[in-house]
Amino acid sequence: MERTGRGEAARLAIGEGWPVMGTTIVVGTTFGVVARQAGLEPIEIAAMSLLVFAGAAEFVMVRLFAEGAAAPLVIATVLFLNLRHLLMATSLRQHFMRLTLTQRLAAAFFLTDESFAMTTSHFRRGGRTLTYYVTFAVALFILWNLATLAGIALGNTIGEPRRFGIDFAITATFIGIVVLAVRRPADVAVAVVAAAIAGALALAGASTIAVITAGALAPAIAVFARK
Amino acid sequence: MIWFAIVGSAVATYLTRSLPFALALRPRPPAAASRYFEALPVAIIAALVGPAVIAPGGTLTHGAEPLAATLVVATVVWRRSLLAGVIVGVAAVALLRLV
Repeated sequence: MERTGRGEAARLAIGEGWPVMGTTIVVGTTFGVVARQAGLEPIEIAAMSLLVFAGAAEFVMVRLFAEGAAAPLVIATVLFLNLRHLLMATSLRQHFMRLTLTQRLAAAFFLTDESFAMTTSHFRRGGRTLTYYVTFAVALFILWNLATLAGIALGNTIGEPRRFGIDFAITATFIGIVVLAVRRPADVAVAVVAAAIAGALALAGASTIAVITAGALAPAIAVFARK
Repeated sequence: MIWFAIVGSAVATYLTRSLPFALALRPRPPAAASRYFEALPVAIIAALVGPAVIAPGGTLTHGAEPLAATLVVATVVWRRSLLAGVIVGVAAVALLRLV
């Protein structure tokens, strides 16, 4: 019985998750291309996807590297960006406590926005095994890394990126991520204010601290917003 | 330096993913903290967009990027597709820069 339940959960994870997996392939390939265009070495790009495995954070790192930001600033920005994982893991914790500590620590490595969203919805519909999470989260990890490698290869073959507007792909990706993430009016205000503060700081020549400053200040709007 | 940043970012990211699974943190953070954390990704990603649209290459834009950005927003709102937004954005900025 348990076996069948697991097989079903795994099939369900693939069956429901394929649109997210498709997006992961597209964004992962874009990441590889953009990182290569920004002048990072293939081994560095591959290591980022393998070790950090956090799409938005990896894009941010590429931008900061391109601007010559110091390592502590890069790490602090990534830490800030990923603090949301604390909330997601806290919310999933009750379902994971049946695993051993070692299993939990392994499962944690694969936690992403996507696997959190899909797994939460699976549990809300009465799902009980963690097979759903493991199947989906590990599949995303494999696809993200393969897509990164494909992007690196593709990035090598594209010439001057500015000529074809390819340099704007990363910005368009970010805009799309923000638009799709908006759930309340306050989110729009947060996004616009963050973009404006960061843009102003960049014009003033403070581009390396622009992201972390604007990113840390703008969410205050959400704290005080009614909705 | 770049490797220090990559490994440090990996460790920082893993800590945010694993701490709640290893330690018993407060099950419910205060509502204000939740709202702040939930808005963080939108804020930080939007903060990346600002400079690239307003000040590409560190100087004030000639208008191609803000116009293309507006088209990307419209496309993604309409199609709910990241890929469609990227294609429209890249094509728009390539054309607008020729103008």
